[in-house]
Amino acid sequence: MVDSNQREFRKRDLFYVVPLWFLSLILPDPHLDHRKESRFRWRDLFYLGALLLLPLMWPDTHLHHLMVLAGINAILALGLSLFLGYTGQISLGHAAFFGTGAYTTAILTTRYAFPTLVAFLASALAAAALAYLIGKPILKLKGYFLALATLGFGEIFLVIVRESPNLTGGVIGIFGIPWFSLAGFSFDTYLKQYYLIWGVLIGLLLFSKNLIRSKMGRAFLAVAASEDAASTVGMKVAQIKIGAFVLGAAFAGFAGSLFACVMSTANPEAFSLSLSILIIMMVILGGMGNLYGPIAGAILLTWLVDILGKYQEYSLPIYGLILILLLISFPDGIGTRLNIRLIYLISYWGRKKRRERVEL
Amino acid sequence: MSFLSVEEIIKNYDGVRALNQVSLHVQKGIIKGLIGPNGAGKTTLFHLISGMERPASGKIYFKGTDITSMEPCEISLLGVGRTFQTLQIWGNMTVVENVMAGMHTRIKGGFLSCGLWLPWVKRAEEEALKEAKEILEFLGLLGRWKWLASQLSFGQQKILEMGRAIAMKPELILLDEPAAGLTATEVRQLAERISQIRDSGVTILVVEHHMGMVMEIADEIAVLNNGELIAEGTPDVVRRDSQVIEAYLKSTRADA
Repeated sequence: MVDSNQREFRKRDLFYVVPLWFLSLILPDPHLDHRKESRFRWRDLFYLGALLLLPLMWPDTHLHHLMVLAGINAILALGLSLFLGYTGQISLGHAAFFGTGAYTTAILTTRYAFPTLVAFLASALAAAALAYLIGKPILKLKGYFLALATLGFGEIFLVIVRESPNLTGGVIGIFGIPWFSLAGFSFDTYLKQYYLIWGVLIGLLLFSKNLIRSKMGRAFLAVAASEDAASTVGMKVAQIKIGAFVLGAAFAGFAGSLFACVMSTANPEAFSLSLSILIIMMVILGGMGNLYGPIAGAILLTWLVDILGKYQEYSLPIYGLILILLLISFPDGIGTRLNIRLIYLISYWGRKKRRERVEL
Repeated sequence: MSFLSVEEIIKNYDGVRALNQVSLHVQKGIIKGLIGPNGAGKTTLFHLISGMERPASGKIYFKGTDITSMEPCEISLLGVGRTFQTLQIWGNMTVVENVMAGMHTRIKGGFLSCGLWLPWVKRAEEEALKEAKEILEFLGLLGRWKWLASQLSFGQQKILEMGRAIAMKPELILLDEPAAGLTATEVRQLAERISQIRDSGVTILVVEHHMGMVMEIADEIAVLNNGELIAEGTPDVVRRDSQVIEAYLKSTRADA
């Protein structure tokens, strides 16, 4: 009974019991029931309603544009979370796949006049194919070495893009990419783009949810926790890592294609190392091994970068300070930390019930 | 040819000879105990059989197939499951997911069909969940199937690791010190379960320091000392072997 103090209910617990209970209504579930997270539940309806109504209740074009960018970042973060959050591998070159997607769309639509939908699908395929070719040799590395190799890959991608003006327009980039259009309907305002991008995000989120609750999700988590154990139950570790890498790249390809259509330009500055690190920050801040977390992290960071833009030269130090403070108070991500508090509360109630039964 | 045969294996670690010309044969459907003092090379032998390390020379055959230079996942696909001396449980998953992950190769579906949750994936997952719960019931862990594996006690994690090995329906299970850290009651239950697994037709090779349990459940025992096989036979024969008493039983008594 060393830690009996911690198990007693104290008055100050009431301060967070009530807010946490409210939060528990809208936040994703603690990881107690392996199937619950994948079911469609009331809180998903709440998210969906909020997403649909937000731009209508707040008719500010700047906010719409910000949410469009947040949606693109969220797609990137979602893809990376499969690789970083679930499979436990690091990639510092994710922006390269984003760039591949954007350039594929740019080249196909401006030079060959392909419909945007075809370019959209081709972008994901191109990014996935590149990821497969790169991943095959690179993913044999682990930890720091993998980080270095992917970092190098990202830089090489940038150099190739800058130095081949015939294909990618060099440092100037490609202009005049048409709006995304579907069967004659053109997504030409921020509001329409908002619904397009968050629609794509919801589709990819459902795909990821299904993947995570299936044998593949378990394989990802198994590889992250112990590769030795994973190989003794017959999992092909290399294949699983490449699968997660390629899927993350395909998501980034979708995001890049949408980005090119929204911004109507593609230039190398947008796909640098700072973007790769921003995506990683979104996943870490949102919570590893959690699908809603990276999306929350993407919205938070996109919004933060925008707000701090006002402070000009002070923005970077303030940004760094806020990140440090967030990581100190939520060391394993916003989503995960709240889940742990919830698990604590639930197990506390469970223990209390058990104790009462024993006393009777 | 016997079910599993290890032929004149030599394994060196930077000049230390861990296994020297060890040959071991296991018949189908028995429990074979592998004992020996610490550092005798038991776990090394397990690593070699499961393909995690390569021998310097010698051959290993399983069901007549040469598995000496195969990858661990290929060997497990042939039907060899194992547990680890140092726990290798997946603490980031729930208990039932750990067992279901053991069925990975038996569940159909690739990345796309899983992501789209196609009908056969759904059916396979439901069947896997049902089967995993049956295994957990057999192991007495069903009450905690929704817990995270890291929340279980050490003893329960060891049992869960065994459950994961059973879930892949292997023909041979390598158990590396399953009773280490368990209480007397848990050891008794474990012995019973291992016998039950054997009775269902699975061959078991078990490394164990808990002499009482090995002598009770094993059909045959092999004794390793300093990387060499010094005795082999039924528990009674091994117990009376003077070399074994000299090398192992005596030294443990002295320690105690």
